[in-house]
Amino acid sequence: MAPVEDEWKKGSAELLILSLLEAQPRHGYDIGGLIELRSGGMLHFHVASLYPLLYRLEKRGWIQGRWIEKADQRRRRYYRLTTEGRRVLAVQRKKWQAFVGAVGRVAGVEHA
Amino acid sequence: MREWKHEIRKRLAGSNLLPEREAEIIDELSAHLQDQYSQFRSGGATDEEAFRSVVRELDATDLLPELQVSEKIVRSDPPAAGAASTGQWIFDFLQDLRYAARTLRKSPGFTAVAALTLALGIGANTAIFTIIDTLVLNPLPVARISELAAVNTTQQKMAAQSGELQLLSFLNFKEFRETTHSFSHLLGHSNPMAITMTDEREPRRIFVELVTANYFDTLGLNPFMGRFFFSSEDTTPGTAAVAVLGYSAWQSRFGGAPDIVGRTIKLNNTPFTIIGIGPKGFKGLYAVFGPDIWVTSMMAEQILPAPQRKALSDRAIPLLTAVGRLKPGITLAQARAEMNTIAAALEKEYPDVNQGQAVALRPLTEAAYGPERQGLLFGSALLMAIVGFVLLIACSNVANLLLSRAAARRQEIAVRMALGAGRGRLLRQLLTESVLLGLLGGVLGFLFGYAGCQFLWSLRPAEYAQNLADLRINPSVFGFAFVVSVLTGLVFGIVPALRSSRTSVSEMLKEETRTVGRSRSRISLANTLLAGQVAVSLVLLVVAALFLRSIKHEYTIDPGFETKHLALFMLYPGQAGYDQPRTEQFYKQVRGRIAGVPGISFVSWASNLPLWGRKETGVTIEGQEQRKKSEAISTVVNTVDLDYFATLGISFVAGRDFTQDDRDISTPVAIVNDTMAAKYWPGQDAIGKRLQLPQGKHNFLQIVGVVKTTNYQSLGEAPQACVYLPLRQNYSDSMILYVKTERDPSATLAAVQNEIRNIDPALPLEDVRTGTKVIDQALWGTKIGVGLLGVFGVLALGLASVGLYGIMAYSVSQRRREIGVRMALGAGQRDVSLFILRQGMVVVFSGIAVGGGLAFLLGRALSRFLYGVSPNDPLSVGGAALVLLVVAFVACYLPARSATRVDPLVALRA
Repeated sequence: MAPVEDEWKKGSAELLILSLLEAQPRHGYDIGGLIELRSGGMLHFHVASLYPLLYRLEKRGWIQGRWIEKADQRRRRYYRLTTEGRRVLAVQRKKWQAFVGAVGRVAGVEHA
Repeated sequence: MREWKHEIRKRLAGSNLLPEREAEIIDELSAHLQDQYSQFRSGGATDEEAFRSVVRELDATDLLPELQVSEKIVRSDPPAAGAASTGQWIFDFLQDLRYAARTLRKSPGFTAVAALTLALGIGANTAIFTIIDTLVLNPLPVARISELAAVNTTQQKMAAQSGELQLLSFLNFKEFRETTHSFSHLLGHSNPMAITMTDEREPRRIFVELVTANYFDTLGLNPFMGRFFFSSEDTTPGTAAVAVLGYSAWQSRFGGAPDIVGRTIKLNNTPFTIIGIGPKGFKGLYAVFGPDIWVTSMMAEQILPAPQRKALSDRAIPLLTAVGRLKPGITLAQARAEMNTIAAALEKEYPDVNQGQAVALRPLTEAAYGPERQGLLFGSALLMAIVGFVLLIACSNVANLLLSRAAARRQEIAVRMALGAGRGRLLRQLLTESVLLGLLGGVLGFLFGYAGCQFLWSLRPAEYAQNLADLRINPSVFGFAFVVSVLTGLVFGIVPALRSSRTSVSEMLKEETRTVGRSRSRISLANTLLAGQVAVSLVLLVVAALFLRSIKHEYTIDPGFETKHLALFMLYPGQAGYDQPRTEQFYKQVRGRIAGVPGISFVSWASNLPLWGRKETGVTIEGQEQRKKSEAISTVVNTVDLDYFATLGISFVAGRDFTQDDRDISTPVAIVNDTMAAKYWPGQDAIGKRLQLPQGKHNFLQIVGVVKTTNYQSLGEAPQACVYLPLRQNYSDSMILYVKTERDPSATLAAVQNEIRNIDPALPLEDVRTGTKVIDQALWGTKIGVGLLGVFGVLALGLASVGLYGIMAYSVSQRRREIGVRMALGAGQRDVSLFILRQGMVVVFSGIAVGGGLAFLLGRALSRFLYGVSPNDPLSVGGAALVLLVVAFVACYLPARSATRVDPLVALRA
């Protein structure tokens, strides 16, 4: 399938990143890779939009990045979800669910 | 590895990012690109293919605009002077605030210690300020207090010497009120008087004030509930039995009953209807002590004790203080001139009672204190100064903490400066941090202060708790705590901030935190602060010790009468509706019955409470009438029953005691004290001489005895003249029963109370005191003051010793290498600990020297408030210095001991 519309992607990007950080801290490359992998290649964030997005979330205090050096690995910046981020994630999930449901009912698409 | 950093840097050109931020972004992105590159390569791409794929991916979106949105680029070059807009300023401020909060959160230990230290200082200040605000700055919650002035009279010639103020008689007051043009309103109020109140339950003693109907309106007050007096209720004597109840009396005596208005209570056996509740927090026009209830002046006959019952028609009976509201544009001096004109006219018209009287007109703010004003102002100023010093010590402690931290933060500050932060900007950041710390301490301190005040106020004598002023936490206390917190933050923050931001960037970046040389000057500044703390602590300890010794002396003052085996019972038979024959019968009956109680040696009645002597001015001495024109004689007057002098242990110098035969039909007699005898009949025998009292219904009284002088109004007072009158010739319906016991009087209190209840259960018997308690109460204010001084002295000592310990420990940790070298070169543990100890004690000794000098100077200023203690009392000064030395020694010894545990090997390798 062709990649989804850019606008749709933008609207969901924050939710995607927050969700991926829910279970554990991850670095940027990991996040980008997982989005592509789990969406079956439908969603792909370019490096030049992924990082500014991360910085924006960090500025808002939803995630927090920290340089970590692991044995035999390059120094990487790992992001983790803050308490505030966790709260925002819960709210956004709910909203997104409602939104998708609403779109589904209006457009006559079966809910996944 | 490919040069990803170069590729990214190219794309960030012109971004204006802060250099450190840009480096971080480049680091992170290049790591990402390298990961991608490795993935392409492991998928089989050639080096060239993989590189091109990565670059294509990088350029798929334009990096710079995206980043600029998310980074809100901060310009790294400082804006031109004057260009900074308010918006930028606020933005910077919020940024500083966030940064400061983060920094403080990052070192919770430091923050807690600093905030707690400040809280102690700010708390002490808030507590004292609350008390001063209540008693001195804002004593009366009335409208536009500056327009109000109190009018009393004074004996012209006496005024300059003693300033003793007298009440106006009702008729004179009426004259003033009707004639004045200076005041738009003139109210009159009596002093608070103890009366008997009876509601459904047992009789109780409460305090009442007689007031004119315009009392509340003149003061601009509104009732909390119900209404105040109508002027029609204050025109005909004895007709309108209505009363306004004070708010706190309503709360404490009636449990705040909502149906109180309209209820009937009995005051001195006359039923009164409660028509309203006074405003919350208002307790009359004396700052310290106020009434429970107000009734109109026309009810004087029902309220006043027998000798004053004709107050409404007798111009010689003093009753009211007048308080007037000045008309707009009239000055105090103009009003005073007018009042004196009226007084002169009154003197001319009624010379027999108004002879030599002048008007004393004072602003109400001043009049609200009565004679205690000077002591109160002095005490307030002293306490405020002391807590100010405690706060200074706290500030210098926190400043020292900050200086220690500044050393650790040098790198951070250097980086900020290297990145283009100007000195001003940096100062602002550091000060924001210290002010935030100050505010944190302020919030805690406010709570401490509040708790402290509540505790302090709970120590009020219980008998009068609801009549004493309530502490009010009003906006000015909040304002005070806030301003003090901010100032505190600035004071302790400014020196460390100036220091931190001064050193040049290159020097700081080059330097290692371990370097010793630089912190030398830091330690010398810290030492100066410490010496100052030691000095101030010593001053406070000396002052506390001086007052402690002084109050110990006051307790040993001999008031001239028995206290240890004395009990007092206040009884007001007249207020229970007794007429004169029945009251006289009652006095006799009580004396007879009580004298029979085992363990009681003497019983008598007297009109005065010990140390609450009533004074009268205008005594005439036979053969010296001329004196009357030039100088009014003022004496304490006490009406006493038989055996009074035996009961109080006052011995006779000459003559005899009153006897059964001194009755209403026999010659009027009096007993005077030796001070009076020596002053007015010098070199003569006073026995047989005659004198006349101003209000006396008698002509001349013949002196039959001379007794020793005692204290009449305060402990340790200068000797005062006193005249004793026999009860049998001077009827009064409210007297105090004095009982002398063989042993501890508290054991016999119950037996005496029982006997009185047996005679009449309807008499209120609330106010019972032992002689020791009377002395205690007289010294209550002083005791509280001394207690506070002690607490603050110990607080100062504690803060200073913690500061001393902290800085010594820090200096030891900074000098581990030096100590290590010394030990490696053969210095023993003893040498090392002596060396450290000496360093600390030099600071302590210089502080003690300076503090000793200051205490000496301050002691001289305090000397007239000390009793029986020299301001340079060696015991106080030496004791305080010794305590300080011991505590300081321990504070220095602990770090010195830890210095000896330095392992030279470890210290040198570090």
